[in-house]
Order: sequence, then structure tokens, then C-alpha cells
Amino acid sequence: MVNLTIDGKQVKVGKTATIYEAAQEAGIHIPVLCYAKKLLPYGACRVCLVEVEQMKGRLIPSCTTPVTEGMVVTTSTPEIVKVRKTVLEFLLVNHVIECPVCDKGGECDLQDLTYEFGLSTNRFEGEKFALPTDEINPLIERNMNRCVLCGKCARVCDEIVAYGSYSFINRGFESKIATAFDRGLNCEFCGQCVSMCPVGAILPRPFKFKARPWQLKEVDSVCGYCGNGCTVTLGVLGDKVETIRFNDKTGVNDGNLCIRGRFGYSYVNSGDRLTKPLLRKDGQLVEVDWKEAIDAVVDGFGKARTEKGLGILSGARLTNEELFLLKNLAQTLGTGNLDHSGGECYKGLTEGLKETLGVTASTATFPQVEECDVILAIRSDFYETHPVFGMVVNQAVKRHGAKLLVVSDKKGKFTKLPNAQTLLNAPGLEVNVLNAMAQTLLEENLAVIDGVDGSAEFKISLTDYTPEIVAKQTGVAADAIREAARKLAAAKKSAILLAYGLPYTGASRELGIAAANLAILTGSAGRQGSGLYICGEKANSQGAVDLGILPAGGALGAQGMLKAAAAGDLSALYVVGEDPLSSYPDRDQVEAALEKASFVVVQDIFLTPTAEKADVVLPAVSFAEKDGTFTNAERRLQRVRRGIPSPGDAKSDFAIFEMLAARCGSPVKYTGPAAVFTEITASIPEYAGISFDSIGPKGIVWGGETLAPARKKVLPAAGGKASEGPFTLVTGSALYHSGTVSTRAKGPMAVVSEPYIELAREDASALKVNEGDLLTVKGNGAEIKLKARIGTRLPKGVLFAPYHFGGAGINRLYKGQTAVAVQLSK
Amino acid sequence: MSNAAENVQEQEIDLAGANQVIDKYLDMKGALMPVLQGIQEFYGYVPEPTVPLVAERLNVYPSQIYGVLTFYAQFHLKPRGKYIVRVCMGTACHVKGAGRIAGTLEERLGITHAETTEDLKFTAEYVACIGACGMAPVIMVNDATYGSMSVQKMDEVIAKYKAME
Ligand code: SF4
Ligand code: SF4
Ligand code: SF4
Ligand code: FES
Ligand code: FES
Repeated sequence: MVNLTIDGKQVKVGKTATIYEAAQEAGIHIPVLCYAKKLLPYGACRVCLVEVEQMKGRLIPSCTTPVTEGMVVTTSTPEIVKVRKTVLEFLLVNHVIECPVCDKGGECDLQDLTYEFGLSTNRFEGEKFALPTDEINPLIERNMNRCVLCGKCARVCDEIVAYGSYSFINRGFESKIATAFDRGLNCEFCGQCVSMCPVGAILPRPFKFKARPWQLKEVDSVCGYCGNGCTVTLGVLGDKVETIRFNDKTGVNDGNLCIRGRFGYSYVNSGDRLTKPLLRKDGQLVEVDWKEAIDAVVDGFGKARTEKGLGILSGARLTNEELFLLKNLAQTLGTGNLDHSGGECYKGLTEGLKETLGVTASTATFPQVEECDVILAIRSDFYETHPVFGMVVNQAVKRHGAKLLVVSDKKGKFTKLPNAQTLLNAPGLEVNVLNAMAQTLLEENLAVIDGVDGSAEFKISLTDYTPEIVAKQTGVAADAIREAARKLAAAKKSAILLAYGLPYTGASRELGIAAANLAILTGSAGRQGSGLYICGEKANSQGAVDLGILPAGGALGAQGMLKAAAAGDLSALYVVGEDPLSSYPDRDQVEAALEKASFVVVQDIFLTPTAEKADVVLPAVSFAEKDGTFTNAERRLQRVRRGIPSPGDAKSDFAIFEMLAARCGSPVKYTGPAAVFTEITASIPEYAGISFDSIGPKGIVWGGETLAPARKKVLPAAGGKASEGPFTLVTGSALYHSGTVSTRAKGPMAVVSEPYIELAREDASALKVNEGDLLTVKGNGAEIKLKARIGTRLPKGVLFAPYHFGGAGINRLYKGQTAVAVQLSK
Repeated sequence: MSNAAENVQEQEIDLAGANQVIDKYLDMKGALMPVLQGIQEFYGYVPEPTVPLVAERLNVYPSQIYGVLTFYAQFHLKPRGKYIVRVCMGTACHVKGAGRIAGTLEERLGITHAETTEDLKFTAEYVACIGACGMAPVIMVNDATYGSMSVQKMDEVIAKYKAME
């Protein structure tokens, strides 16, 4: 700790603080423009100059100067005020005056400072810029005439996002911020630069002319898309969410968001939302009132019980409270057939983790990853599946020098980070590589085996997985595997990251076990600062696992239910917040299941392709219209808050479940999510002791920052076989989308609006394929056509198609395997 | 990677030369400047398609490369003529009629500052004092300096270089 005096006030702060941070902590205001908490010190704008007694004679930028013991700082003297005014005057020489039409009005730092310093005239006259505005992309507008050259956009895009869109170009008066060759912006569209820009130079286009900032009601909630669980602040006007605003005071995301969180909210305002229950009459879905719809549901489910039974498929975008009610409802309905998100991806993983670690969640929290010295990322680039977590890893690597190991079938942003070692395996063979790493650990006596069960048997199982054997199977060099294993073993703090979700249903149990084995053998699981990270796909995937939305006692999982229904062995299906037809593997099976089941109920916010096949459709509401909690991929419970009213007669899943329970003879009446949460804490041991109201802006991590494994047992995990055939197709998540909901949102659709198939440059030139050509992909007895995208991240022979677009029928080819052998032709 | 991309006009260019230059400096720290210089030496300028290549192989952002290219006057992003005609615009030359000299060049060749004739023979560049104020107004063609320029002398110089290969 360092003691110093600021404006006569005694202040005590940490050694690494700057004067600005010390002042801020002491509640003393120093104006800033180019400073941002999450960026490295820069000191470009000079607005924050202060006087330091020990450094008399010149003014010191407070945002870059570290505190020293006994420092005496004055933040505001007539001289300082004069200098600040001059700085502002200079900025305003070239800065256009178009505040009346600028959307930033009311929250522009330059405007605020001009006001604060009472500048009404300018002593300097100068040329104003007249640069064209970049309006090429639909999401971000850039008007460089308003730029004050603080560099925050370029810094955030490099330091945090690692995309590096911007640089300063030219010199002198001509200096400006631009992209390469001064073109329109074409990037990840995460909007970090939008949130950082202190003036109106970079603005979100969807928000343009929608409201003045002060008219917006702010509601803190959680992004409804992925398991990262970023907090978002909804900017609400009337019954619409008009924007998502930057807020670094809540959550763990430091105000960072990805395109989905920042620009993917518009679906909640969509005119296509379901507003009334629908019931099939004479083959047509017609609008009915709730009573009639619920009658039909109760009737149908009742019948199913007496026939071949009922299965429930739940989405993982329901709140914990809703999932709890659903679980109880399943009991009331007398079925154990309950699962979420396609089944195997979570069911298998959960089983694998239970057997090895005894815990079915990440063992540590996201912020800890920033301090890790070695990070192993399995199967995902994370920038694509959990983009904001990807940014944490980026900072660990770039700021703190962490070593990054990437086991994946394609390259990506991760593989470009400094110090990254990429183990590029043939598709579907991650388990083989992880096994070989484990083999190395045991072989070279680098493994922790004290207190570990099963290591002798495990070691024997690995004789087929020496680095040499695995190198032949996977294409990853044996030495690279050894080197990676050694790095992981030598780490003081390590993180093992594993992404999960619908496109990764194959071999999920094995992969969970293989990752857990490594976490155990390297001591990563349960060690302070280290951990195994299980990153579920959807906003509340972890909640669904915690609350047991999994088949009970030998009952059917999602795939089992669909199979049974398709075979005529299950009478009814209740699909809540999922669109299996579009996104589940093996569409033919889903189609047959919906066809054969005599009664299908779909509860969702849109009339999805699955809903179109239903007998009853119940209109539900989006995350922006409900209260409750989500549990993110690091076990952080956070509050979801209602920002807008629901459209028409749509009801929250919460209300619908209550209604159904009451009609099924087991009425439950809760005053709201808080009351249900109390029940949850009484019945789910992990959640015990947490009260709804104590969930503050940073959420609460159940089990604490480091979760100790309940057991440590290493188990053999069966590796995969390389797929045969000229091409191998893998599916997965494309950065701009999440599940199928984002395909209803304008932002993500503006960037990626249709399905595609990505292939390597070499393959493209061999087949004489150009960007955008229509390609025929054949495999698994199906054939589909997709537009070509040519990139540099795929190895020869590997194809990638995102799974979000139902219409394309990718799930006719993809039936749940880790990789599909296909043929490709023009 | 996105649909929002504008259609960037792809210049047809053989990247083998650029790749060779990159190979040479690949393992060097701070390779960017020498690589860009080498590329310019090879092609006579820095062709746009070499930028993504350099970015990928040296693992730097294309935007950073562009920042460097526009910061240093030594780099040229367009093909340049065989003969670079530098017209001094320094104070002495200005007073002695550099404007008229530049005007003549523009009239005869149709190029002004930073422009190149279509046949890639001449590039015009207006520069600050080149340190030969005694002979103002001054021009340089590649390394040769011509002083006390007049409209007529300008015509002679242009004719001389036009006649040369
Ligand atoms: S939107 Fe994101 S990726 Fe694009 S320039 Fe801004 S910060 Fe960079
Ligand atoms: S565009 Fe905005 S963030 Fe970027 S340098 Fe200019 S003022 Fe700063
Ligand atoms: S989609 Fe995921 S990473 Fe992106 S903002 Fe939402 S929670 Fe964060
Ligand atoms: S805020 Fe300190 S120099 Fe800009
Ligand atoms: S002013 Fe032209 S040479 Fe000096």
C-alpha cells in the first residue's frame, strides 16, 4: 500500500495504482478522455493533468503516472484549469460542431468537459475536417470528423478483442483512425470500439435516432445468448429495447460484449413474435385463448400418460426458476423423460464428469484465467463460442504472458496469439490427443497421482495412445503433444477449457472424461487459481445441469425420446424453448418423431419450424421480459430482469408452467422467482445458503471461486477414428450467431445472413471453387447445397458449416458424430 | 469473413516476390520495416495484395501495416514511374516560380503531386526544400538535379527523358 495526499486528503491505495485511480478511489474527480479502466495506460489527451509537489515545474498526466509514497497531488489549480481548457480548445478547433444531431449527445465526454470547463468561445480558429462517414456496414457508423484521436478504439480492438481493425494513419494534421486501406469496417462487430469511444465518432447504427440517451430506462440483466453470461444493460424506451449499453460495473465482463450481446437484441422487439396460443384445428394452427390451449394440453398429456408416455425437451435459455418448475411439472406429469439441448452434449458430459471429478461444472471462475500461466483450449476458439471469454484468454496471453495450447480441428484467432501452440488434429480426434498428453504425463512422471483413483488401470488403457500412435491418427506431431503435456504439467496456475453445446454431441462423455483426466493429473482441478472450465453453449446451460434437467433414473434423454417417438414408442412431446427441427442433429429423426408422436406441444417465442408441426403452440417471452436467475459457465448466478412488457398474450415460461401444474392437479403458487429461488436453495445442495436478494451486480458463484472436486478418478476414454473420405465436415457455432434465436435478430443477420460451407483455400483452388459458388455436399445418405466460403483457417480436406440455419438442412448430414465424411462437388 | 465486406478490387499480382522477401526476414525481430522495404524494392511500390500476406505471415494486423505505410513518406502504395520528377516547393523556389514549373509539368504530362503517367514513365512529387536554393527554382529527376528552371528548360528536360527508354 502507498500513502499519498490528493487535494489535502490522505489516500491509501495499492502499489500499482495510478494517480487517477487513487483520486477516483478517494472520490476526487479528475476529468479524462483517453483513459479507460480496462485498457493499458496511454496518456494521449492531456485532459487529466495534475500537479505533483515532488515534480514541480510541469504538469503530470494522472492517468499514466503511478503513485509513490508521500506524493502530494493537487488536481485543480487555476493553472491546471487553464491547461485543460486549452487542451479542449485545441480539440474543438478541428472537431465539427454537430451535437444537435449526434446520438452521443448527453453522454459524450467531450461535450461534458466543454460544459464542465465553461468553454463557450474558442481562441483558436482552424480548419474543420470534412471526412466521409463510414456507413458501409449495417451496425457501426464511423464519423471521423468527431474523433479526438484518443486511440481508445484502436487500443480496445487490439488489447482486448485482438482483432486489430484500426490504426492511426497518415501524419500531422492528416492523422486519423482508419482500417487498412481506409476502407469500411468489416470485423467481428463486437462493438467494443463503440462502447469505448468518448465522443460520437463511433456509433451503433441500429440505435440511430431512436432516442436521446437520457430518455432511456436502464435495466441491468444478463445476455440471453451464450454461457458466458455477460451482463448487459438494456436501454428501454416504451415497450422496446432500443439499445444495449456499456456497463462495466456489473458482471464479470468489464462491459465487454460480443456482436450477439451488443447487436443481437432486436428479436425481442420483432413483429413476428407469437402473441397468442395456437391450436391445431382441421389441420390448421388457429389462434385460441389460453384456456382452450391449456385444456388441450392437459387433455393431450393426460392421454399420453395412459398410452406410451410423454417426453420433455427443454431449452437452456429458461431461468433457473423456470427450470425448477419444469422439473416439478415433469414429476406431476409422471415422466422421467426430461432433457435439454439435444441431449448427448450435456447428458454425456455430465455423466463423464460425475464419474471422474464428481462435480459437473467448471471448477474455477473466469477472472482467474487472466492470471493463469498455461491455458489449454479444447475444440473451440472460444472467440466463436464464448467470445468474451476469448477476450479474457487474449488478455492472459498478451498482458500476462500466459502460454496457450490449442487442441482443435481448425485454426482461429487463438492460434494467432503470441506463444500459442496449436495442436491441429484431424476432425473428431480431440480425445486421442488428450489421451496422448495424459500418456506423456504418466510416462514422464509429471502427473499428480497421489490421492487419484484408477491411475494403474488408466495407464494401461493409454498404451494405445502414445504420442507416436496418436500422431499417426491425428496428424499432430508427437513432440508437440509431449511439449504441450510438459507445459501443462509445469504450470503453477493452469486452465483447461472445454466448449459444449448442440453441435458437439458426439463423444461428449469421452471428451468430458479425457479433459477431466488431464485436470486431475496436472492438479488443475481444485487448485487455487487453476481449473477445468466447462463452457455450455446457452445462457443457462449450467443452470439446466445444476437443476437436473436430465433424464431421471434410466428414463430417456433427448435423443432417446426422439428415437422412441419416431418409432411410435412415445405418445407426446413437450418442446420448450427449443427448435429441434432446425438445430438438433439428425433432422430425419426429428421429423419422424414430430410426425409419429400423436401429440406435440411447443412453447416458444417464435413460430419456429418445430412449432409449425405442433398441435398446440404456447407463446412464451424472451429474456428481456422476465425476472429470474441464470447460472453461467463459471457457476455464477446472476439476475435476469424484466425490461419490457411481453407482447400480446404471451406469458413467461414461469407463468405457463404454473398454469399447467395447477391444471394437472398439483397447484403450486409462488409469489415470483424469488420464492422459487428459495425452494431451489432448499433442494439443490450447491445453491444452499444463497438468497435471491443477495445476488448483487457481480452475481454469486455457487461453490466459491475454486470448487473442490468431490473425487479424483481417472478413467479410460475411448478415442475416435479418423473419418474416411475426401472431405470431413464439422459443424459448430459461427461467431456472429448463437443457437437459432440469433437468426431472428437483425444485427447478426446483417453480418451473416445465410448458411455457408467453409473450405480451405487449397481445396477451393483444386476444385476451382470461387467464393459464393453453390456447392453440393453429400454424406450420411443426404445431399444439400451450400454457398462456398474460402478461408485460411481450415486444413485441407476439412469443411465447416455453422449449424444455426435450419433451412439449410445441415442436420440432415450431421447426425451427431464428431465428424462426417462427405463428398463435395460444384 | 462477413457479408458486409465491400468488394475489394483484387489487383492481379504475383506474390512470389513478396513471399521471398518475407522468407528472408521471417525470423528477425522487428521484421516489418525491412519486409515492407524489400517488397517496395521488388515491385517498385507496395502492392495492396501483399499487405494481407505480410499480415498473415508476420502475424501483425493489416491496419497496423497500413498505419506504417502511410506514416513513412518512403512507402508508395501505387506503382511509380521510371522517372520521379521532384519539383521543389521550398521558400526560395516558391518565390522564384516553382508554381509555374509544376504547372508546366502538369500541362505537358497530365500529372500532379503523387501521380504517375499511365505509361508508368513519370511520377510527379512536390517536395520541400532540397537544399539547392542557390539554383532556384530546382527540380530533380531521379538523382539528377536541374537548376534555374524555366518553362522552356522544363520542356527540354521532359523531352530528354521521354526519348530515353
Ligand atoms: S467492432 Fe470490435 S472488432 Fe470491430 S473494430 Fe470495433 S472493437 Fe474491433
Ligand atoms: S474514434 Fe473515438 S475512440 Fe477512436 S480515437 Fe477517435 S475519439 Fe478515440
Ligand atoms: S453471446 Fe455470450 S459472449 Fe456474447 S455478449 Fe452474450 S453472453 Fe457475452
Ligand atoms: S486521460 Fe490522461 S492523458 Fe488522456
Ligand atoms: S527552396 Fe528549392 S532548393 Fe531550397
